[in-house]
Amino acid sequence: MTYLLTQLANGLSYGLILGLIAVGFVIVFTSTGVLNFAHGSVLLAGAYLVAVLHDPIGFWAAAVVGIAGAALLAVLINAVLVRNLAEANPGTAAILMLGVDILLLTELTRRIGNRVLTIGSPWGADVFSFGGITLPMSRVIAAGLAIVVFALLWFLFARTGTGIAMRAAAADGDTASLMGIRLSRTGAAGWALAGALAAIAGIFLASFPAPGVAPTLAISAFAAIPAWVLGGFDSVVGAIVGGLIIGVVTALAVGYESELHFLGRGLGEVVPYAVMILVLLVRPSGLFGRKEAVRV
Amino acid sequence: MKHRTRTALALAGCVAVLAACSTEDPNASGGGGGGGGEGDVETGNGVTDDTITVGMLTDLSGPFAAGAAIQVTQTQAYYDQVNEDGGICGRDVEVQVQDHGYDPQRAVTLYRSMAPEVVALQQVLGGPTSAAVLPLAEADGLYLGGHGWAGVALQYENAQIPGTTYAIESANAIDYLVDELGLSEGAKVGVVYFVGDYGSDSLAGAQYAAGERGLEVVPQEITPRDTDLSAQASALQQAGVSAVILGAAPGQLASLAGVLAAQGLDVPIIGNTPTFGPSLLETPAGPALEQNFYTVTSIAPYSLDEPGVQAARELYEAAAPDGELGWEVPLATAQAELLSAALEGACEAGDLTPEGVVAAMRETSDLDTEGLYATPLDYTEVTEPPTRTVYVSRASADAEGGLEVLGTFEGPSAQSYTVG
Repeated sequence: MTYLLTQLANGLSYGLILGLIAVGFVIVFTSTGVLNFAHGSVLLAGAYLVAVLHDPIGFWAAAVVGIAGAALLAVLINAVLVRNLAEANPGTAAILMLGVDILLLTELTRRIGNRVLTIGSPWGADVFSFGGITLPMSRVIAAGLAIVVFALLWFLFARTGTGIAMRAAAADGDTASLMGIRLSRTGAAGWALAGALAAIAGIFLASFPAPGVAPTLAISAFAAIPAWVLGGFDSVVGAIVGGLIIGVVTALAVGYESELHFLGRGLGEVVPYAVMILVLLVRPSGLFGRKEAVRV
Repeated sequence: MKHRTRTALALAGCVAVLAACSTEDPNASGGGGGGGGEGDVETGNGVTDDTITVGMLTDLSGPFAAGAAIQVTQTQAYYDQVNEDGGICGRDVEVQVQDHGYDPQRAVTLYRSMAPEVVALQQVLGGPTSAAVLPLAEADGLYLGGHGWAGVALQYENAQIPGTTYAIESANAIDYLVDELGLSEGAKVGVVYFVGDYGSDSLAGAQYAAGERGLEVVPQEITPRDTDLSAQASALQQAGVSAVILGAAPGQLASLAGVLAAQGLDVPIIGNTPTFGPSLLETPAGPALEQNFYTVTSIAPYSLDEPGVQAARELYEAAAPDGELGWEVPLATAQAELLSAALEGACEAGDLTPEGVVAAMRETSDLDTEGLYATPLDYTEVTEPPTRTVYVSRASADAEGGLEVLGTFEGPSAQSYTVG
């Protein structure tokens, strides 16, 4: 029983971090219609900044710089590249993002080299124990912080002018534009938010139990793609729920692999996509997706 | 439209003419001038009167860029020294380096353009990349070294594996657990491995040895993307393992060691050669690694006090005073020594063609590397590994390169393991 609870706690905390990344995918998609495949390297860039700066300026200042830096990088990608596309076609933008991802990742790989850079967080390798369940302290903090961030996002989208403008622009860009909402601003706000969320997720993905900042961190971000898709592509709530589902299912598949050995080894790698396909078979627009996105 | 077609045709013609020139040229000069160089040495691709060209297809922009760069630096420094001392067969050795970025497709393309210009490939770095190039090089009769330690390479006559295979490393690890660390019969050993020709080879060796020594293997398959091994560590703890063998990369090692320590599971972790990097000792997992981590490698760790390794260290520290330290340094020297021995042999046999180099490599027996490898190497049998002995080392922050050598080891199941 404790084993099951440990794996569940592992899965939930990891799922919340995946949720942070998946929400970034959703916000960029709804605010500018771009499938942001450069999200992983923005995440890595944020975590890299924290790793190199925590020594000279301290962890908290470095975290602020890392989050702001990732947000700025995302805004720049949008302003310099996405908005200058001749045709605002999702396919073209997606390929452009793949190119940006390769460039950023190559440069960051070169800078990181074969080192594993530690993130220098004050919680280090501390462990949290409760009722026989042990969980890395970084995961407990990540889970708490993710819940706070999601609450702030709800507040932003439901109660502030900027958030409502962003929702209006996402629902119907042309009409929103006619009503005086500047799409360039809502777009920039969306990219900035996504970049900041990615950097937060990056800090925790690079904290214990992971070794630190290494180029593979950028690929870990892609684990959030099934969460994004099964949540419904354009739903923030869907992305969070999707992240939790993928996190829990992956942890259970790995944890009970020996009981599930008739399905073969390496189940944890396949299960997120299998779940995604199953959900899409039953609900083609994802768990919380808008039907319109499918009908077109 | 017509105009464009004509331009294209003209361009194609030019390219064809150029290509024809470039393939004929080395043969012409090599064949004609061969007699004048050193005695009556027959020469072919990559050898002229005054230079021998060898190639390196390596990863300078992909996931293994940093370790690969250390090897390029060290290989270059090694041949600079060789040239200063008079070269090989009266000729200078030149190293041509190309970056495949860990992409097998690009490796094949680069191989095609490089093959006619080199007498041997000093290195094709990476599992999938060397797997793509090996059959082509075999068809061309071209020497290929520095491709890692996957057992599948042993079937190729032209491949010179730089040490023993991952499977034999892991079989030694099981033997070491039983004979030196006191694991008793019936104990369980977790094997956490990358699926593919590296990790799966490691698993095969561990499974064979566990069968021989009465242990039980608990396999956990992972990919390079998994950097948080919490779930795997919990599963290993649940299964009640008394030791773990790891066939993965440094990131996975740090995570696994850290989580196992956090769970209070104080068991030895033994890694294959590529699992360790010195920077791991600075991560939060550092103390756990110093407590429990061992590695089994056929190449000597950086800190070993033997003349061969010492020479490699001195060469490297002169060539890259601020360079990162690691087992790549002795490895690059060892690989260059292996190829140099084959080139010398080919020269002596009077056949410095690519085929002659492969033949000379297969004559190599009892090659002493002054400690770079634990035993002399024997390449005379194609499907046999050149050695079955490994160095066993422990993680230590006090040792240069982060590893302190405990000694050499060759267990009974490592001796009886049949490759393939």
